[in-house]
Amino acid sequence: MTVDGWFIAALVVGLVSSAICVIAALLKKGPNDVTLLAVAAVELFLLSYLVASIVRTAAGTAIAGAPWEFWAYLITAISLPVAGFYWAILERSFWSNYVLAAVGVTVVVMMARMAQIWYGAAAPATATGAALRTGLGMALGTGSVQ
Amino acid sequence: MSMNQPAASRTQDTKSTGPGRLLIAVYGIFALAATARAGFQIISKFAEAPVAYLLSALAAVVYIAATISLAKKGRSWFKAAAVAVCIELLGVLIVGALSIFDAQAFPQDTVWSQFGRGYGFVPLLLPILGLIWLYRHRKPAEQP
Repeated sequence: MTVDGWFIAALVVGLVSSAICVIAALLKKGPNDVTLLAVAAVELFLLSYLVASIVRTAAGTAIAGAPWEFWAYLITAISLPVAGFYWAILERSFWSNYVLAAVGVTVVVMMARMAQIWYGAAAPATATGAALRTGLGMALGTGSVQ
Repeated sequence: MSMNQPAASRTQDTKSTGPGRLLIAVYGIFALAATARAGFQIISKFAEAPVAYLLSALAAVVYIAATISLAKKGRSWFKAAAVAVCIELLGVLIVGALSIFDAQAFPQDTVWSQFGRGYGFVPLLLPILGLIWLYRHRKPAEQP
């Protein structure tokens, strides 16, 4: 995949947000202003990415992959912090901060997929799949697997 | 007041609290991911590999069922959750094994392919954690 500024920004915002939530959870703190703002920062980033993506496509940049898949990913990602917030405040125990921590990491993974769709990189599953097959085949002593 | 509740209802109700909330959240993310993936595969390229994409759809249904039944309180929802998580474990083991040893018949793009490698092996870990969680929160009547 092509790593652009948007993905780097997502990586920083998402991982810092998750780290803050994990630290708060490890300190046995429930969801508070700090962790909720950390998740809000992810939401703010995604909303600016949405606006920028609309502007970029309107200005004539073509999405390499299926455009509707890109927009579906983006809308789902935007709804994640909201869902995490809702699920976390229903029970204000420190476990809810782990739930909030899952938001940032998940958004980073989804941003990686969105970058693949935007720039048109193929899914890289094949090479690693072959390596895993070979490795497992050797481990189990079956020479017939390829 | 909650201290006076009978042990049975207390035990059942803890299924969706504490660590259970994180478990349900992760299940929810996988329900979303699997549904989106299966939907995309079936809409855009179903004819390429109908069996694999139907298995994708099955995975999506199982994740949705597990998420809902883990979040709901009560005896029947507990059983439903146990069944859903067991099917999930079987699914990831069978599909994972098939995708490695019969790769031609099995395109490598379902959630369960290669034991969930594309998702950081979380699909393999999740049903195990789910079963441990359910076992620790089973009904008192079933405890030895």
